[in-house]
Amino acid sequence: MQPDLLRAEEAIRQSDERYRKLLASVTDYIYSVRLQNGVVVETSHGPGCLSVTGYTPHEYAMDPNLWHRMVHPDDRAGVVANATEMSLGKVPPTIEHRIFHRDGSIRWVRNQRVPHYDANRQLAGYDGLVSDVTSRKEAEEKLTQTNGRLREVLASLTKSHAQLKATQMQLIEAEKLQTIGQLAAGVAHEVKNPLAILQMGLSYLVGSLKYEDGQGLMAMKEMGDAINRANTVVGNLLGFSAPEQLDLKDQEIERLIRRSLILVKHELNTAKVKVAINFASHLPSCPLDRSRIQQVFVNLFINACHAMPDGGTISVNALSHRITQQDEAGTARHSGVRFKIGDEVVIVEIADTGTGILPEHISRIFDPYFTTKARGQGTGLGLTVTKTIIDLHGGCINIGNRNEGGAIVTIILKARMKDEKR
Amino acid sequence: MKNDKPKILIIDDEVGFTKLTKLAMPDFDICEENNSTRALETARRFQPDLILLDVVMPDFDGGDVAAQIKADPALTHVPIIFLTAIVTEKETSKRDLFGGYPFISKPITPEKLAETIRSHLPVGEG
Repeated sequence: MQPDLLRAEEAIRQSDERYRKLLASVTDYIYSVRLQNGVVVETSHGPGCLSVTGYTPHEYAMDPNLWHRMVHPDDRAGVVANATEMSLGKVPPTIEHRIFHRDGSIRWVRNQRVPHYDANRQLAGYDGLVSDVTSRKEAEEKLTQTNGRLREVLASLTKSHAQLKATQMQLIEAEKLQTIGQLAAGVAHEVKNPLAILQMGLSYLVGSLKYEDGQGLMAMKEMGDAINRANTVVGNLLGFSAPEQLDLKDQEIERLIRRSLILVKHELNTAKVKVAINFASHLPSCPLDRSRIQQVFVNLFINACHAMPDGGTISVNALSHRITQQDEAGTARHSGVRFKIGDEVVIVEIADTGTGILPEHISRIFDPYFTTKARGQGTGLGLTVTKTIIDLHGGCINIGNRNEGGAIVTIILKARMKDEKR
Repeated sequence: MKNDKPKILIIDDEVGFTKLTKLAMPDFDICEENNSTRALETARRFQPDLILLDVVMPDFDGGDVAAQIKADPALTHVPIIFLTAIVTEKETSKRDLFGGYPFISKPITPEKLAETIRSHLPVGEG
């Protein structure tokens, strides 16, 4: 063979090779479809169809329904609906769908079709551009999965953050309590000593006064009352004392409530307040400091009496409950994370038929020295001490208004776990 | 003439309190000591039937003074009642707060203080 001929053949071979490589890398191709009475009678696919679909233009020419069969069954309805738009005289929007490649793999294609019509405005066929978007779709899918994982991580981080924040709040609260406790002890010492001097001096003066000096005795009595009141305020301040002072023992909450009601019997009778009790049967016991929890109930019952100057009813309900996911979110939102899902708790509700609480007062109700009572009737520390005691027990307390009128206090205390030692 | 009133030593740095307690409680022979560093010496000299002892004081606190008194063979039998301005009246039943010693919360009326003292005096001294 002539050397020139050999060189020419080699050049053709190399050119063919380049063409095949180029064709294999093509991801877009044009095609045409011709219709007769709405039925596909001829298709013409550009050479790029081989790399995108695995089929040759000739195979498409021989089988007008080949494309339709390649469409993924789940996407077929969308593809048909997209084509139907053309028969209605519209240019359909670009559609992305899956096809089966000849090698069995699934490919994603973007298909843009432009219809053309005959003289009778009947759909005569359409031209289209198919683009292989598999790589982009796979990247999108990976992105979606990564996004999903990121969302999970974010949700987990958000939950951890909320828990950390709640823990931080509890630590701050504990530190605050400790600081207030130390402050209270200091204030108590500095105030109670002069009160002790006043008390002794007053007692001495009362002993020295003649019985007929009625006004003098009355003045002394007023002074004695003032000393007692100041001592009560200091005593309430000491309610902030540190948690180690809690004397936790297994207690039946029902019994503590009944004892507290006996302690306030005089106030209830004076205020003409009736008590309606509704305790669920078989309430679990709770680890409680008896005297402090009684102090809580006494405070709340006296508050309820003050809220019903013309008489009324205090309803006391107690029930047991197991904390659910919904409860956990609620208690976390309102009072820090105090309970875990599955914890058994006792819920005590104390409702009155009094005047209720002004909405603008609700957020301040537990603040020290906040009171709505007349001067001399309340120290503004009763509910602060009440909340401190409940907090020290790891419980939570909320106060709000009832729809029917009056206020309602809800206390949640952790019950003794069944496997805990008594 | 022998003074048959119970002898009470009150150790408290609050001068006003000790003075007025003495005035308000004439049924007792009260000796005041306002300096805790001199408490043991005063107790040895006065030989009280009962000691009222403040908790928070400069120099020696109530606990230190109680330990000194209990370590003295001549005073070890003398009952001690702590006087404190820290705890509330409700807590005075918790004896373990002050190492088992009884304690009372200030302020207190002379009547209540007298009643508490008498309940802790050795038999025959009240």
